[in-house]
Amino acid sequence: MIELAHVTKRFGDVAAVDDISLRIAKGKFCALVGTSGCGKSTTLRMINRLIAHSDGDIILDGQPIDAYDPVKLRRRIGYVIQHTGLFPHWTVARNIGLVPRLLKWSAADVQAKVEELMKLLGLPVDEFAAKYPHQLSGGQAQRVGVARALAADPDILLMDEPFGALDPITREKLQDELSRLQARMHKTVVFVTHDMDEALRLADHLVVMREGRIVQQGSPLALLQQPNDPFVESLLGGLERGLKQAALTRIKDHMSPMGPTLPAQSRIPAAFSLRQGLSMMLRDHTDRLTVVDQHDVPVGELTLRKIVKEAQPEQGKVRES
Amino acid sequence: MNPSVGRRSLGLHGANRAIWPAVWFALLMLCVWGFPHADGVLRSLEPDANQVVYQRASLASLLLQHLFVVSVAAVVTIVGGVLAAIAVTREGGRDFLPMVAQVASLGQTFPPVAVLALAVPALGFGTLPIIVALVLYGMLPIVRNTLGGLQDVDKDIKSAAIAMGMTPWQVLRQVELPLAAPVILAGIRTSVTINISTAAIGATVGARNLGDPIIAGIVNGNMAYIVQGALTIALLALTVDSLFERFQERLRSRLYTS
Ligand SMILES: Nc1ncnc2c1ncn2[C@@H]1O[C@H](COP(=O)(O)OP(=O)(O)O)[C@@H](O)[C@H]1O
Ligand SMILES: [Mg+2]
Repeated sequence: MIELAHVTKRFGDVAAVDDISLRIAKGKFCALVGTSGCGKSTTLRMINRLIAHSDGDIILDGQPIDAYDPVKLRRRIGYVIQHTGLFPHWTVARNIGLVPRLLKWSAADVQAKVEELMKLLGLPVDEFAAKYPHQLSGGQAQRVGVARALAADPDILLMDEPFGALDPITREKLQDELSRLQARMHKTVVFVTHDMDEALRLADHLVVMREGRIVQQGSPLALLQQPNDPFVESLLGGLERGLKQAALTRIKDHMSPMGPTLPAQSRIPAAFSLRQGLSMMLRDHTDRLTVVDQHDVPVGELTLRKIVKEAQPEQGKVRES
Repeated sequence: MNPSVGRRSLGLHGANRAIWPAVWFALLMLCVWGFPHADGVLRSLEPDANQVVYQRASLASLLLQHLFVVSVAAVVTIVGGVLAAIAVTREGGRDFLPMVAQVASLGQTFPPVAVLALAVPALGFGTLPIIVALVLYGMLPIVRNTLGGLQDVDKDIKSAAIAMGMTPWQVLRQVELPLAAPVILAGIRTSVTINISTAAIGATVGARNLGDPIIAGIVNGNMAYIVQGALTIALLALTVDSLFERFQERLRSRLYTS
């Protein structure tokens, strides 16, 4: 668990991070979101002691981070940054094996771990192990960066805009892979991004920062339902907020049982989001969809009325009472 | 047009380049061992002199002396310059960075002849003053390149190295120095090559080296002496410079292929 209590970082007289408090439970994915310069990277870099905090407490597994030896502390915290920071004079395999070697693993163990991670991240060993960073595409380099951070099985992962420099398609692909990895590995992740969609997709806990302060934090749905400030609302996309919220809501949680009427022509898998359902309605000019399971067997139906109600639970409640 | 493209198409690139150190060295040896027997050729330069072959010392022994002086100065300059540059790019030494950079520049703006003039009263005649002059004169390229090489290492890479849990020593040894090595080596090459020529002025304060025939030639108005000294020095400089070039190429290719 990571806990920040009233943490401040001043550069000279300027507070880059100003009295922030934040608790990240073990195995949770926390995203720090905000416009550039609001202190996200600084917050991250205080956690692995790349920079020292000026005030407040940062507690890791019950102990203040100052109690740890900084070198040992960093070896148990994975770190991924935007421009990868891969060592250009080392091969992919050597880059990935860095922390295990620092921890004096045997050569055989290092190699086994490197190969395991390369497979996990979709980098065929034969093709990539001997390549140099300058021979990789942006997406490949970023995978190597993630593999390097995971190499010594850290339970904490800090990621600073890891996908920020990638094209949208590669970025989405890596976001999906990260989701998948996280579902398996349950690392405690602190993820910095200025891209709200990325944060909404990945995070369990979302922290919105502005000018060094935390403006609002909570689950993505909670923020979407109740942004407590115009800044948060604008980050959440203003009018698009409804769609973003619908994107986070699974159809299977909100479908109705099959009605007595004929099933609708258009079919949508239950695992899809309300947003995808809405999109299909617009495309097919219908206000009713048949929801199917993974074997294409109808399991319920989704109506436009239902989506409108689900997407605005507050109003829904008012109307019911 | 990119000159290297033109050169490659002429076939002077790559493998052919490897022979340059050998070519220059062969010519150097030809001078050292050939001049004493080249009375006829040298006389055409100075028909009236009663002696045209420099005989006060053998060119071979002067060459060894010359190499000795330059090597001692180079070792001192490299060790001192590289260590100083490393020290002032570390956390604790940053305050001294402007000072070291300035002292190194000052060393080069100060003419070696003036250094000699100042050093002789303190150190006496002979080899020591010229070593001091060469160290001061050769310090700048090494300090400047080592500083530049270390400072140019991408800060994301350094930051990543620290964040991965490397100790400061590991960051220096495994990341900064290997990445800065080509630039540092280029500085050493400049320094040593310049000092091979500069060392000749040591002859004015009694250091025996390849400057002797040149000084003797100037004093006696004997062009043949000057040619023997100058040509030998030039070929020595070319030999060493081309060796450095080979070494740089090896380093560059090793950096990305091992
Ligand atoms: N080493 C530093 N020295 C001085 N100011 C800094 C330093 N690092 C960051 N800052 C300042 O702190 C603020 C927050 O920076 P940063 O945490 O990098 O923002 P973000 O990652 O959210 O874009 C910025 O105004 C930046 O200029
Ligand atoms: Mg940042």
